[in-house]
Amino acid sequence: MLVFVVFFVAPFAGLVVHAVQNREVWKLLSAHQAREALWLSLWTSTLTVTLTVLFGTPVAYLLARAHFPGKSVLDAFVDLPIVLPPTVAGVALLTAFGRRGLLGQPIDDWTGFTFGFSTVAVVMAQLLVSSPFYVRAAKSGFEAVDQQMERVAYTLGASRTRTFFRIVLPQSWPAMVAGIVLAWSRSMGELGATLIFAGNLEGRTQTMPLAIIESFEGSSLGLEGAIAESLLLLGVALTVLVLFRLVVRTDTGQT
Amino acid sequence: MSVSFRARRRLGAFDYEAEFLAQDEIVVLFGHSGAGKSVTLQLIAGLMRPDDGVILIDGRPVFHSAEMINLPAQERGVGYVVQDLALFPHLTVAENVSFGMRGDLSRAQRSSRVRELLTRLGLDGFEGRKPRTLSGGQQQRVALARALARESRVLLLDEPFSALDDTLRATLRRELLRLREELGLTVLFVTHDLREAHLLADKLAVFDEGRLLQFGTRDDVFRRPVSRRVAELTGVTNLWSGQVVAREGSQLRIFVEGAIIAAPWNADSPAPTPGADVDLVVRAERINIRRDYFDQIPGRNVIQAEIIEEYAYGASHTLRFQPVTAGPVLEVEIAARPYEVLGIATRKSFTLELMPEDVHVIARS
Repeated sequence: MLVFVVFFVAPFAGLVVHAVQNREVWKLLSAHQAREALWLSLWTSTLTVTLTVLFGTPVAYLLARAHFPGKSVLDAFVDLPIVLPPTVAGVALLTAFGRRGLLGQPIDDWTGFTFGFSTVAVVMAQLLVSSPFYVRAAKSGFEAVDQQMERVAYTLGASRTRTFFRIVLPQSWPAMVAGIVLAWSRSMGELGATLIFAGNLEGRTQTMPLAIIESFEGSSLGLEGAIAESLLLLGVALTVLVLFRLVVRTDTGQT
Repeated sequence: MSVSFRARRRLGAFDYEAEFLAQDEIVVLFGHSGAGKSVTLQLIAGLMRPDDGVILIDGRPVFHSAEMINLPAQERGVGYVVQDLALFPHLTVAENVSFGMRGDLSRAQRSSRVRELLTRLGLDGFEGRKPRTLSGGQQQRVALARALARESRVLLLDEPFSALDDTLRATLRRELLRLREELGLTVLFVTHDLREAHLLADKLAVFDEGRLLQFGTRDDVFRRPVSRRVAELTGVTNLWSGQVVAREGSQLRIFVEGAIIAAPWNADSPAPTPGADVDLVVRAERINIRRDYFDQIPGRNVIQAEIIEEYAYGASHTLRFQPVTAGPVLEVEIAARPYEVLGIATRKSFTLELMPEDVHVIARS
């Protein structure tokens, strides 16, 4: 037990201690490259999660409620990016949307638009690896709502949409929020797929994890930079986790 | 209000098929679980689609396979209450009840209507409570109020009382009967409880393996089941096999385990001829116990018999009689008072008297 605690606490302690001892780290916290990478990570992840909720919610509801041929196949496909290494997802994206890809080439030919080295590609990479976490969580949230309630709501004249927003959503939103946090965190941490599909271009595709790798490899801000950037991400992660706890607790606490 | 129903549907292990008409009355759908009772309600409510059939609610077709009519559940205007109630846990009692009210009502109209319904169901002052803070019986009433709030006069109740204790069930059944009177409801009530069926039913529909085996007035179904299976399902304890030995007009004489029993032929179909195998049904409460010895009584079936088993249920006693010479074992139900008057506790040998018209004969198919 103690070994376990030490193992989990030590790395974070290491980060903090390093930062305290090394003044260089403090300066680098506000370095232009780090700020830019953090900002890019934050807004692409938020956009990714917004898209995930918009498109993933109907899919999750469908998977939770409907019966249709091929449902188990779709279900498995949703899980695929969770079990797949992100690098594989990156390669897969490249073969589909890369300049010479299955869809990428015709799109390039028609519109002249290439996904590679664009921020769009960053969002696509994040979407592929993170949205399954949300779909999974939302689906189990929907499944936990007694289906009889929906059926009764229909007999009470409520449309499917009204039933979803008035009956299903109010009962499953904690699960959805948990899914959003998971997907958002996964997007913030996304490295492999982004590196392969979107590349590592400062200001356009260089998200925080990519910046850390680059610093660590010594080509820009060095180890001190990597530490500074890691601290920033750690801070963001802690803030999100605490906020999530607060939101869910106020809900379950008051009833 | 009326519900006219005819539907068929393929359902996994069996084919569902039923046809009946319910009009300003309580129709109890009775049978084992999985017999097709709940399916019937879902077909009427629009939650399941028949393969074929016609369903009219108050004369308006809500499903008509030939005319391609299939109204969604939202437009059928029936109240539907399920066994687990499915109250909306995040909404208050008032919000639950007003959920199905018409959208064109003003806020004031809605709240006055909610209050009226809650008063009618004895739930005054519970408007702002959440369902989980209510007792089982109160939750039950909220579910009823919610179903009634749509001003539907057709109620579909799927074993609504089965999760409650006996006293509460008795109260709610009486309340349902009162509501039916006050509001002029047509109720389809699913249960597998024989006593509940007996208390509530104007008409009884007996289901088994997806088929509606018999539909008729309560007493008709209980006393004159159309088949051996219906007799078994409706709790007939005296169900004997016999053979017709003589026929005079509609009067039959039937050989049952060594005894001859007289019984009329009630059905419209031709009476069975001598030699035909038949089943006999006698309800335990229709057999008369006489203290004095009678060898025979004109126009009656008479059997000398001795008590071999007896069970006391408080208000009534169930006695099992073995005939002295020959005949079937008979089960007799007798109220507590006559049980004492006849001195059954101290005496075992009696004359059993059975009116021929209380013996129901079923032809074997």
